[in-house]
Amino acid sequence: MARSQTASRWTLLLSLVVLIACIVVPGLAVKHENFKTCEQSGFCKRNRALADNASAQGASWSSPYELDPATIHFKDGQLTGMLIKTTATNEKIRLPLTVSFLESGAARVLVDEEKRMKGDIEVRHGSKVNKKRYDEAEKWVVVGGLEISKSATLNAQTKTGFTNILYGPNDNFQAIIRHAPFEVDFQRDGETHVQVNHQGLLNMEHWRPKVEGQEGESEEDESTWWEETFGGNTDSKPRGPESVGLDVTFPGYTHVFGIPEHADSLSLRETRGGDGNHENPYRMYNSDVFEYELNSPMTLYGSIPFMQAHRKGSTVGVFWLNAAETWVDIVKKAGSSNPLSMSAHSKKDTQTHWFSEAGRIDLFVFLGPTPQDISKTYGQLTGYTQLPQHFAIAYHQCRWNYVTDEDVKEVDAKFDKYQIPYDVIWLDLEYTDDRKYFTWDPLTFPNPKGMQEKLDESERKLVVLIDPHIKNKDNFYVSQELTSKGLAVLNKDGEIYDGWCWPGSSNWVDCFNPAALPWWNSLHKYDKFKGSMPNLFIWNDMNEPSVFNGPETTMPKDNMHYGDWEHRDVHNVNGITLVNATYQAMLERKKGEVRRPFILTRSYYAGAQRMSAMWTGDNQATWDHLAISLPMVLNNGIAGFPFAGADVGGFFHNPDKELLSRWYQAGIWYPFFRAHAHIDTRRREPYLISEPHRTIISQAIRLRYQLLPAWYTAFHEASVNGTPIVYPQYYLFPDDEQGFTIDDQLYLGKTGLLAKPVVKENTFTTDIYIADDEKYYDYFDFTVYQGAGQRHTVPAPEDKVPLLMQGGHIIPRRDRPRRSSALMKWDPYTFVITLNKDGEADGSIYVDDGETFEYERGAYIHRQFHFRDSTLTSENLGIKGAKTAEYLKTMAGVTVERVIVVDPPTEWKDKSSVTVIEDGAKAGSTASLEYYEQQDGKAAYAVVKSPNVSIGKTWRIEF
Amino acid sequence: MRLPQSLFLLAAAGSTARASSDKTRPRGVAPEFAKFYQDTETFTCISNPAIKIPFSAVNDDFCDCPDGSDEPGTAACAHLSRNSPLTVAERPGNDGMDLVLALPGFYCKNKGHKPSYVPFHRVNDGICDYEQCCDGSDEWARVGGTKCEDRCKEIGKQWRKKEEQRQKSMTAALRKKKNLLVDAGRQQKEVEDHIIRLEAEIQGAEAKVQGLESSLKTVEEQERKVVRTSGKGKVNALAGVAKNRVNELRDALVAVRQQRDETRSRLKELEEVLSNFKVEYNPNFNDEGVKRAVRSWEDYAARGLGEEFNGARDRDLDEIAKADDENSGVDWEHWEKEEDGCADSDLIYKVAAYLPPSLVTFLEDKILSVRSILEIGGILTKSEEDSTSESKAVTEARDALKSGESELKDLKNKLRDQTADLEKDYGHGGIFRALKGQCISQDAGEYTYEHCFLESTKQNQRKGGSSMSMGKFVRIGSTTVEETNEAGEVVTVEKVALEYERGQNCWNGPNRSTKVVLECGEENEILKTAEDEKCVYSMLVTTPAVCDSGEDDNVAPRSKDEL
Repeated sequence: MARSQTASRWTLLLSLVVLIACIVVPGLAVKHENFKTCEQSGFCKRNRALADNASAQGASWSSPYELDPATIHFKDGQLTGMLIKTTATNEKIRLPLTVSFLESGAARVLVDEEKRMKGDIEVRHGSKVNKKRYDEAEKWVVVGGLEISKSATLNAQTKTGFTNILYGPNDNFQAIIRHAPFEVDFQRDGETHVQVNHQGLLNMEHWRPKVEGQEGESEEDESTWWEETFGGNTDSKPRGPESVGLDVTFPGYTHVFGIPEHADSLSLRETRGGDGNHENPYRMYNSDVFEYELNSPMTLYGSIPFMQAHRKGSTVGVFWLNAAETWVDIVKKAGSSNPLSMSAHSKKDTQTHWFSEAGRIDLFVFLGPTPQDISKTYGQLTGYTQLPQHFAIAYHQCRWNYVTDEDVKEVDAKFDKYQIPYDVIWLDLEYTDDRKYFTWDPLTFPNPKGMQEKLDESERKLVVLIDPHIKNKDNFYVSQELTSKGLAVLNKDGEIYDGWCWPGSSNWVDCFNPAALPWWNSLHKYDKFKGSMPNLFIWNDMNEPSVFNGPETTMPKDNMHYGDWEHRDVHNVNGITLVNATYQAMLERKKGEVRRPFILTRSYYAGAQRMSAMWTGDNQATWDHLAISLPMVLNNGIAGFPFAGADVGGFFHNPDKELLSRWYQAGIWYPFFRAHAHIDTRRREPYLISEPHRTIISQAIRLRYQLLPAWYTAFHEASVNGTPIVYPQYYLFPDDEQGFTIDDQLYLGKTGLLAKPVVKENTFTTDIYIADDEKYYDYFDFTVYQGAGQRHTVPAPEDKVPLLMQGGHIIPRRDRPRRSSALMKWDPYTFVITLNKDGEADGSIYVDDGETFEYERGAYIHRQFHFRDSTLTSENLGIKGAKTAEYLKTMAGVTVERVIVVDPPTEWKDKSSVTVIEDGAKAGSTASLEYYEQQDGKAAYAVVKSPNVSIGKTWRIEF
Repeated sequence: MRLPQSLFLLAAAGSTARASSDKTRPRGVAPEFAKFYQDTETFTCISNPAIKIPFSAVNDDFCDCPDGSDEPGTAACAHLSRNSPLTVAERPGNDGMDLVLALPGFYCKNKGHKPSYVPFHRVNDGICDYEQCCDGSDEWARVGGTKCEDRCKEIGKQWRKKEEQRQKSMTAALRKKKNLLVDAGRQQKEVEDHIIRLEAEIQGAEAKVQGLESSLKTVEEQERKVVRTSGKGKVNALAGVAKNRVNELRDALVAVRQQRDETRSRLKELEEVLSNFKVEYNPNFNDEGVKRAVRSWEDYAARGLGEEFNGARDRDLDEIAKADDENSGVDWEHWEKEEDGCADSDLIYKVAAYLPPSLVTFLEDKILSVRSILEIGGILTKSEEDSTSESKAVTEARDALKSGESELKDLKNKLRDQTADLEKDYGHGGIFRALKGQCISQDAGEYTYEHCFLESTKQNQRKGGSSMSMGKFVRIGSTTVEETNEAGEVVTVEKVALEYERGQNCWNGPNRSTKVVLECGEENEILKTAEDEKCVYSMLVTTPAVCDSGEDDNVAPRSKDEL
């Protein structure tokens, strides 16, 4: 009886569930109620109120901050002084100011609070929290470029009430510091480009004691000063209100870019409402946003508070170094600074307003004048992109989840069977035993080594997920060590913080603690992470950190980290501290085996580019998500973190074949190219897709592989100059105003390859914008497109990636398809040369072993190619090191098998051979040349057969 | 990893020289293609005879022929594939011709083993592809210092041993298949015999039923002649019956109310479970099914939760549920003593007139529905038609007829089943008849998969032991499987597949279903189970039943044309 009753109860429950499941119409939307709007965030509301007040008062508003002239001191490129804030009650708050002028041409404005520096405050609730304003963000973010300029000087010709400093290349930069009210204007060549506190929104909420029972007596609205409650969680705020804010104006600049991560257009919108504008400021508070929405200023998984402002002929930038929650308001106003210059293009001033919940004001100002200059200077500061292992720029196959080790081997075999190359297969969290990282499920992954050995047969790699939340379980050694060594994040009461994540009850490793690094390091050793092998790499996910039951799906802000810093102080750099720990751990897992780590991170901050790649998180299989991936990837590139990509195919839901194919055709242009899918989606490995789409996808992947030499060269460029890897239109054509908002086409490095992926359903032509009057050639059939400042219609049938080559480039390729990129190592190169108007072309290539750091000792090939006066030359760009000769020897057999010249001079019709002269060879040799004519607007081309010059040598080919 | 570069160059340079000195054929060319490479002056592209190149361009590591035939020994033409992003310039002689390679691959002589092709894109990639090329000749250029020793002796030996085993196993498989066919034939014969037997039995049973029918008739006629007396008037008798009936209905009402209360409390419990679920579920677990459930719960809740209890109606029911006496309900005593004076039909209305009208309609409605619910639930058995008092003889005769009829029905059902079974598709030669119901299983990951031929597929949890139906047998079908041929090309092959559908429903998806793809093998064995997409499984199973040949000496007559 009891049995049948329970049975029938279950049947009832089941049928109810089934019934419920049937009626539902699925639809997706972000849970807005889980994340704060500005109105719900105390300090955001306060700083916006300040801005509203200032703008209401108009000209009569005056910033209550003054630089005391008596305290100004300038020495060795550094200006110091005391900023005085006068409060409503006429209290004087002392705020030490430092303005540093750096050798790199950047300037740094730093404001702290004297009382807090001295620890002369009281914190509430008996909290042990550090009394200082957080001053260690630099430790995680800045790696160089802080050398003070020796040439910076005081400008003697200065009006009273101002202090002017000349600095930068040839002293053509000037900082004009007005004492009262405090303002700094930055000039380049006598023209103002950046104005700090021009709107008078500088705000440093000084420490004050909470006066009980006096509410309402003060004129200020204290309602958000102390405890704040959101979504059932109360933030104890032991230090009370402490936000910092500052306005930065870019006079004459209509476009600002940067401050990822947002699912929005490249050119940032205004945020104070109005048609097409946002209502809320752009928010940066690293969060696990479930089913994020598009065209929104909502925060996402990572933040880089670095912004470029761009106008014709000039790019400038600012970097707001603050690890706390940050919002940025953007308003564009008709140019007030120079009303006479309203000509053909009405210029605007872009006014930005930055505010963070805690920490110091620490602003870097970059004066350009080119986008490349900005990338370079910013990169000196926060580091350049890591030169990744070569496999990392090839194709990654991921899914939540490959369910067994046999499953992995079968996927591997299927790629071979269908002759589709791939380099890396990924395991999401289900490979673990009960969601305990550093373990394998004994039933589903009984033989991890056998699996990795199998992958290694074609030099493929495995990436596994390791997250910062450690399952809180007694008999799990990682958990035991974490707690017994005291390396976990604590709650506000100083106890180990317990929250919910994938494994259920979990604790978080505190990578701010120096002691956490050797421990984390030890966990990655082969003997500790049993079953791991040298071809295993790491994916750090959920490191915002994501806490399922925490406020805004993350940690309470009053949690405590090493150094008694609140989580509030460090939240946005939390993610990269984990990446840093993993990076250190993966450098040398076995004594003597030093390898470049490969880490994928979801959460990031400025500096992450030195250690990792990122992806745009949990997107959806919709055309809109495909479309937004391009501006998101481009924006990350100009913000200094170009190793970026979106999940190909879309994470949630099932893409149809057309969407999936188009997504591959777009995905091959992401610097980080990985397909990924949610556990509830149908399998969609490329070989499973029926024809003709399987072939379409295979061709797209093989196109990526064919161009890997160009990609690797672009990565190298990023690793030494801080440039993006795929460039937005404005970056290459900074003087062409029509191109500034274009964010749906992109250039691969400096190769002149211009791709415009199709991101609309049922669309079989596309318009490609061409900025200059060079000829552009269709990549596949050499159709010519020409006409500056115009959009050109290019056919885009389903099997075609719209792709053009700008005249004037030499593009390196490898045409032989192999199973993985590692197996292309010894293959010969093909060069495609497109001549410019003057009949010339340039290009370069960078090659190294793709896995070690031997390149630092000269083990690489870096060549510059020119085509001038009918001669193709290869010149060395490398600097000889201890390992150069040895490396060149191993590469001596790697040659150029084919040179394709597109649109050659017609005289070549009668040419049948070229002369090849290799450096050091006694005599030249000849190679045959064949000229092919084409009809219907397609350019002719010539092919040199087997010049067989070595890639690492100096040579020339005379046509 | 490194190798003196001179060696590479030597090898590269030597290739053409060796090709001409090796009188037989250039590197990578199979004997069957040797005839194309005999002219030592000029080479004619095999599929494009209009294109002629000097013989020195054969195997010079540059692709000259649009069909790749000039590079039988290198990877230079490996890009000639539909999978490649070809531009006009690296397709020699391009004018939109089809991309068909003239050669199946790089030919490995594999002395000591059997010759084989390795796909061109694997030539000189630094990996020894011993599976196809045991002599290591695919890595002749020794790129990056790769050296592939000749392992044909050892591999060939292993292969022959395996091949011998395979042959043996194949012989055994065919023998088993033969046995299966014999069994299947015998089983079919059994069915046929059974049918004959049943047909005879049915004839007998039909005659018996006829006999019983006529004897019932006879008894009934006799019975009508007997005058029955009754001690009481009709009204009194009816009152007695009605009393019993009302009591019975009252009891049923009480039982139904109890049941209703239970259901109510269960509904309440369930609603609580779901509303807690809505509050406590975690959207970050990214489970679309959970989210969908929450959303529909919200819709459901918006329509109003479990009905409010109507106190007034409950009090009515309390009243109705009380036993009858002089003051409430019907005074039965009065009726049982009443003189008989009315016609039967009037009486019924009169009885009803004594009951409160609400009770009448209520009882009529409720009792009917309650009964049917209880009967469907199997809680009450269907009540027999109220029998008027009947003589024992009639009853007996009627019972005998009934049992005779049901016996006949059983037999007819059996015959229908057996005939249907005979009509059913049991595959080529009816062979699966012999396997039906045989179960095999395989441990894989956290599950044990089970396949019972022509019955069901199941997934059993190894931890915890819960079992999940992956489908019930529906048909023998076929499926195309993509396999690689000798040249490494993907080709489609037709295979027998057993299809199982309508398994347990998935939380987020369809009912589970399984396609069991059969391959020839000595044993009935599950090789692999995969979830191709959510809750759609495929199982690769070996069985002698699908091995080639064996049906010719077919023992069983074919009931149906095979696939």
